[in-house]
Amino acid sequence: MSTNVLVDLSNALAEAAAKAGASTVLVNARQRIPASGIAILADQILTADHTIEREEDITVILPDGVQVSARLAGRDPGSDLAILRLEKPLATPAEPVEAEPRVGQMVLAVGRPTSAGIQASLGVISAIAGPVHTGSGGVLERYIRTDTTPFPGFSGGPLVDSSGRVVGLNTSGFGWGASVTIPADLAWKTAETLASHGHIRRGYLGIRSQAVEIPAASQKALGRSHPTGLLLVGVESDSPAGNAGLMVGDILVGIAGHAVLDHDQLMAYLTGSVVGQPTPIEVLRGGQPATLSVTVGER
Amino acid sequence: MTSNNILQLSQMLANDLDAIVQGVRPSLAVVRNHHGAGAGIVAASDGLILTNLHVLGRHMPSVLLADGGEYAGQLFARDPEIDLALLKIPATGLEAISFAAEKDVRIGELAFALGHPWGQRGYLTSGIISALGTAKTDGNRGFIPIIRTDVPLAPGNSGGPLVNAVGELLGINTMIVGGDQSVAVPAWIAREFIGQAARQSRPAHHWNARQDYYAANPGLL
Repeated sequence: MSTNVLVDLSNALAEAAAKAGASTVLVNARQRIPASGIAILADQILTADHTIEREEDITVILPDGVQVSARLAGRDPGSDLAILRLEKPLATPAEPVEAEPRVGQMVLAVGRPTSAGIQASLGVISAIAGPVHTGSGGVLERYIRTDTTPFPGFSGGPLVDSSGRVVGLNTSGFGWGASVTIPADLAWKTAETLASHGHIRRGYLGIRSQAVEIPAASQKALGRSHPTGLLLVGVESDSPAGNAGLMVGDILVGIAGHAVLDHDQLMAYLTGSVVGQPTPIEVLRGGQPATLSVTVGER
Repeated sequence: MTSNNILQLSQMLANDLDAIVQGVRPSLAVVRNHHGAGAGIVAASDGLILTNLHVLGRHMPSVLLADGGEYAGQLFARDPEIDLALLKIPATGLEAISFAAEKDVRIGELAFALGHPWGQRGYLTSGIISALGTAKTDGNRGFIPIIRTDVPLAPGNSGGPLVNAVGELLGINTMIVGGDQSVAVPAWIAREFIGQAARQSRPAHHWNARQDYYAANPGLL
């Protein structure tokens, strides 16, 4: 270690970029500029769904320049993630971070939009936010904003910390302006579901609802602080909700043991494991708590 | 890490950053044309100033050095294909910038720009080497290697130095693409340009001044 801290920092960043580069690939699945992808297994690439514009003739270029064919194994526009399966298991899997990312942490956005080598931009984690609606029927539980510069073709590539470990997947696909990072733990979990099921199962209840304030007396009856809930203003007949006995006027306040305060939270919990399963839904009916078992349908 | 160590570390960082600024500032020049100004650097102690060709106007530019001295700049050499120009000023004993020995820069390496963005003299901005690419040109070379960084640049940075963590020249800041991606001409290309300036077969402006200069300074060839 030299006595020049800047030189050490500079070297550490160059090494982090190189380490990230070893598991960052180029993804060719659209007419225009290629996108980036993160190898999560030797034969699996995680990338941004919005960069996959065709399902045939998808190719991936590995860090050593080797081109491999890939097929679309699963996609979810709601989370803007997609999994590609490589014809040959030649990729080097990335290492995700273990610790929670923190605001202020120094990070590199890394991409491989050309076969000429990786590209990188430096910044810090500016904010960790969520949950938020993604506009494609999905809810992003948590996301990271940074002040890195998103170069063209960076979507699908990794955000790494100063040790080169993956903090998340960068994407500009939500249309919120600058690039946003999907945290690694969420991305990897979605990747697993996509790889095994091909898509994210989104639950369906058959209700129309509106957020309302819950009066103090009803919160007391619930036995917890619960300021808002979802008033059911419509229940479709012969729907999962209808068949379970939910009624217009019920205020939905919980599902599968999770408190629900707004629509985004409900959407976040109506995925994955509850689909197809009898699931407890907690409501306030006439000011009193009640729990009904709903077999969640699939959208 | 104790708070003491962190304080020490941030002090060391501040010292290192200051060292870059102190090291580069003596070689940093302002190149003023009739409608504005850009930056330039002292390429040789005998008064050779390197800048972007596009910083020069149609008339003789004036060069303002770090010590406050102001000189008329004579066009010594130009290469539109790489947007570089060499000016000669009647000054000696100047501090020339050091060129980085390594031709290869690494992605992720820290990079700093010194220049005069929006007229702010001697302004430091920082980022990293983001990408190494090539740019197509209309000249004989056909294309040239370029360095792309995420160092914030603005009008007034053109012609100024892009340096590494020890203040050595990595490139000449030349332009901004798409509003936020900065492009620099690599230092080794600038070095070749300076060395080849005397070998230009086309007679150019102030030919005699250039011939005399190189006769006295053979090292530059």
